[in-house]
Amino acid sequence: MAAGSAEERLLNLIIALMHARVRMTKDEIRARVAGYEREDSSWDEETAKRRKATFERMFERDKDALRKLGIPVVTVRSQAHGDDIGYRIDPSQAALPPLDFTPAESAVVALAADYWRGAALGADASQAWVKASSQIAHGQVDELPFATTSSRLSDAAAALVEAIQLRQEVAFDYASASSGDARRRVQPWKILLSRGADYLVGLDLDRVAPRTFRLSRVASDVRVTGEPGAYEVPGTLPSGLTHSSDVAGEALIAVRPETAHALRAAGTDAGTDGDWDLVRVPYAHRDDLRDQVLALGGAARVIEPEGLKDEVLGFARAAVEVCRGS
Amino acid sequence: MAADRAVSRVTRLLGIVEYLETHGATPFSELAAHFGVTVTQIEADLFLLWVSGQPGYSHGDLVDFDGSAFEQQIADVTNAQGLRQVSYSPREAAALMGALAALVATGAAPDAAQSALAKLTAAVGSVGVEVVDVPEVNAVIKDALDTSISARNAVEITYVDAQQRRTVRVVEPHRLVAIDGAGYLECYCLRADDYRTLRLDRIESARAADVMVTHPPASTLGFSLHSSFTATVRITRAGRWAVEDLPNAQLEIDGDEVVAHFPVADQEWIAGRLLAIAPHLRSVTPESLRAAVEARAEDVLAAHAV
Repeated sequence: MAAGSAEERLLNLIIALMHARVRMTKDEIRARVAGYEREDSSWDEETAKRRKATFERMFERDKDALRKLGIPVVTVRSQAHGDDIGYRIDPSQAALPPLDFTPAESAVVALAADYWRGAALGADASQAWVKASSQIAHGQVDELPFATTSSRLSDAAAALVEAIQLRQEVAFDYASASSGDARRRVQPWKILLSRGADYLVGLDLDRVAPRTFRLSRVASDVRVTGEPGAYEVPGTLPSGLTHSSDVAGEALIAVRPETAHALRAAGTDAGTDGDWDLVRVPYAHRDDLRDQVLALGGAARVIEPEGLKDEVLGFARAAVEVCRGS
Repeated sequence: MAADRAVSRVTRLLGIVEYLETHGATPFSELAAHFGVTVTQIEADLFLLWVSGQPGYSHGDLVDFDGSAFEQQIADVTNAQGLRQVSYSPREAAALMGALAALVATGAAPDAAQSALAKLTAAVGSVGVEVVDVPEVNAVIKDALDTSISARNAVEITYVDAQQRRTVRVVEPHRLVAIDGAGYLECYCLRADDYRTLRLDRIESARAADVMVTHPPASTLGFSLHSSFTATVRITRAGRWAVEDLPNAQLEIDGDEVVAHFPVADQEWIAGRLLAIAPHLRSVTPESLRAAVEARAEDVLAAHAV
């Protein structure tokens, strides 16, 4: 067979493995599938060995390409032939299920595929869109008065999403407000998307306990450190980890009249203190409330807890020092 | 990489077969438009399919097309040799469903995002991305905005801005957008007499106003604020999160520190964000931004000195 392109060979390999009655061994694939170089009886031993090694490398690359394509290749070991391995593709297992997207759904799936543009999952997302659009009739995609862009969805999120899928342990540097950067080793379970803040929930392998991490504070690349399928993700997450149900404390904040409406909306009225209105605000993450108070400039004053007040003052003093010093 | 190019072309080849099996004979030009490639590329793809097949590779073993239709530049597959599009790889599923989940989480996405995600989840299983605590972009406000956008009607809204000032304004709504995980309304604000991008969860009420939309949508996606200068900030690595997601930020790593350059459109907002990482700040330029950060910090100190 003439040496065609890699895609021609892959296509022939896919068809051959789909039609294999039981399985095809590597030798059968080499001898029968178009695109691979067949063994030639006129080769000397040296050449035959070299060509076989070339074939083996090519076949490994092709198996990898099939995996990237999302095609499950079944390996079948034959008892009659000792240890040799054969391969097969189950067409019904490999096929894209019919999804019957409405024109509005098609439009939003196209947008979703564009969401990771420029990020690590960008190429995968556009592949996914080609697959989805294989079933969508041309022109049957709505125009939506809706658009999306993201600069936030980081490579870290992409790596974690894949690690969760494959159940692989990961390691990354994490910027913690209290202890600075530290290396964390985690079995990732789930990513929680919550009001513009994304969280990773997983088992912290050093603390041997479930933890929540803010994705925005992952300060390094996410490195995959474990083998696939190394652990099970619990069916239900331990309570207290999900952001929504987690109230860590309550603060009493004085706010200027006609300001701080978001704090007022999140809290309850607690009377007045001179010119100031008092609001009692429950919070899940003290960092978030501290940032809100700082963002209000002089329009908000923390009364309690004392720790939050100290943090706010510490931040303000640090800022003054840097701005005067630099 | 050659391997990735091969993977992407095979995905399209399988897509073409799936499309023809689902929708019947199709002109080359329509396939080209549908898959976003040239007609020449579609022809090359079809020729490649035509010579592919089962081992043996004699006539009945090959993928086959109707020859006379082919001459009319119409693809009509008569024997696909069992080829169909294949399901999503783990990364593809994660990319698609993760993005849909992120859009749903903004509260701005059309209902179709939720139903498309449900169909994908039913077909290929969950991918470990979950939306919690969806912002209360309440349905009444979103419905009012959706209706006004399609009717090309202005709306009167009550809005609480980033400095938490409440205003009532009439805006011409153009579209809803999701930017970095939050939902926004792109509109022309008649009060400011300029384009604005307003956060949906800061809109407290919305009702149709008796004014037609007259200003065209802004052509650019996202914040329509124009940047007025470029800031340079040096911070320790632990504070990096506060600057790396700013639009068009450029980061240089310098040992344990990071130098970030980014365009500033709203100085007050940037000053607030820098204050939130004050212990990690090392230097701020230009002088005007430094003064804004300092003034804000002094205000915080003064408020607590009561």
